[in-house]
Amino acid sequence: MRALKRQLNVLRAVAVVTYKEWSAYRTHSMVSILVGPVYFIVQYFIWTALFKGRTEINGMDLNQMITYFGASTLIGYLTMDFADWNLQMLIRTGKFLTFALRPIHHRFFALSQKLGHRFLGLIFEFIPCYIIFSVLFKAPLMPAHIGWTVLSVALAFLMVFYIHYILGMTAFWFTQASGIRRVFDLLSGIFSGVYIPLVFFPQWLQKALFFMPFSYMSYVPVMVFTGIFTLAGVRIDIPVIVGIQAFMVIITILFSEILYRASMRRFNGVGA
Amino acid sequence: MIRYLKIYKECIKVDFATASTYRLNFFLNCIIMLLGDIFFPLITVLIYGSGAGFEGWTVYEVLLIQSVFTMSTAIADMTFHGIMWATMDLVRNGGMEMVLILPVDTMFILMARTFSFEGIGLFAGGAAIFTIAILNIPAPSVWEWLQFLAFFISGLFVMMGIGLIMAAISFKWVGNSRIPEIFDCIRSFGKYPQSVFPKAILVFTSFLIPVAMIAYCPAAALLGRGNMTMFLMILPCVIFLLFGIFLYKYMVRLYQGVGG
Repeated sequence: MRALKRQLNVLRAVAVVTYKEWSAYRTHSMVSILVGPVYFIVQYFIWTALFKGRTEINGMDLNQMITYFGASTLIGYLTMDFADWNLQMLIRTGKFLTFALRPIHHRFFALSQKLGHRFLGLIFEFIPCYIIFSVLFKAPLMPAHIGWTVLSVALAFLMVFYIHYILGMTAFWFTQASGIRRVFDLLSGIFSGVYIPLVFFPQWLQKALFFMPFSYMSYVPVMVFTGIFTLAGVRIDIPVIVGIQAFMVIITILFSEILYRASMRRFNGVGA
Repeated sequence: MIRYLKIYKECIKVDFATASTYRLNFFLNCIIMLLGDIFFPLITVLIYGSGAGFEGWTVYEVLLIQSVFTMSTAIADMTFHGIMWATMDLVRNGGMEMVLILPVDTMFILMARTFSFEGIGLFAGGAAIFTIAILNIPAPSVWEWLQFLAFFISGLFVMMGIGLIMAAISFKWVGNSRIPEIFDCIRSFGKYPQSVFPKAILVFTSFLIPVAMIAYCPAAALLGRGNMTMFLMILPCVIFLLFGIFLYKYMVRLYQGVGG
């Protein structure tokens, strides 16, 4: 119990410091107040044009589609992560050594940092954009099941973090791992459903996506938000898909731990 | 002028030598850009594959717009968009003074120094999709090709104007790596048939920040949909570029050093 309390104190301290540190650059976050709505306008008119003379495309109606893109943008603000970039930089410059010597696991430190950073995102990105989408564009942005949505977003938050941390750990093996990061960013952008709902992909690919981490990073929480989850022609109840998402997060955490231990055996503290 | 051409040639040589030295990184980045380029039009293919589509536009016509956009972006990335990152970095690090004391135009030397062959993968991908699209539409006439060329160059003016305005903003908004996102989102209006947007947005994308000229107008010309308004839009494109040049040079004059 005392150990848990200590961990929570560390988490809070790191998160608060990160929040204060990044608050100095809050205008960077506030760029989203312009960028988010502009992208949303583009999507709004594109899909309105595509739905002309149709009531549904791939089982989704226009309202659902607008909600999908609105929710996808908003959830993206809460889950955004750059732990991979940070970790790769620390390894490449040799600065990771200082973390390896600290009495705190670097991954926990990075997670705490993310909490602080994303709290800033909640205030300066999520809330203003939510107001703009709902009030200005009248987008239907009320989650169908608030509890499940919060849980699913929290799981996506962890999923995105652990996946990025795993990517960051590739720097223990490769001197310059920025290419791997770019490939992953590209793949995750497409296969997590940020650009287009996954139901637009061929059936075989939708089935394959069940077993990949991408869909659990954005598509699942967004669909939980809309209240209906369908993939590969299979409709799954919301509690079940959130359960599957939790299972996938646990698998990812375990994989991350195995990789971390292997990385520590390889780490020489010199940098590159 | 000849001196400037020589400098530019040297900068191209330097970039080629760099790319040759770090071959693997160069090819990897080219391939990533190429793949990224293939994935985006894939979204259009997926939408049309689902039976939906933009009224009056076939999938190849939309792909034509998007491929022109990609080629324009690739040329911009190779030749003048580097000025934005270079300026941002130099202003933040306080290294701009080293550029200012050079006996050449600051704007020119930063563009020349940031010439990059890496955009070649992006251009190749765009050109491939462009070829596929062009083979699936009625063959354009010589006049339509000429219109395409004029509009495409005007679109590059817009791209250059955007790059310079972004670079100019980075003098004041020090170290904000999200500046390009602002302009990327505005440019995204230019990736689609303009008929999907309401008139208010069309005025914006045609005359204020004429992003429609980047890809929509050149593609429309090849499709035989070029019109007088598009020719009139060339003027705002030139004005936009001149504004970008003016703003950048003005910010250079205001620059006081020290970094941020």
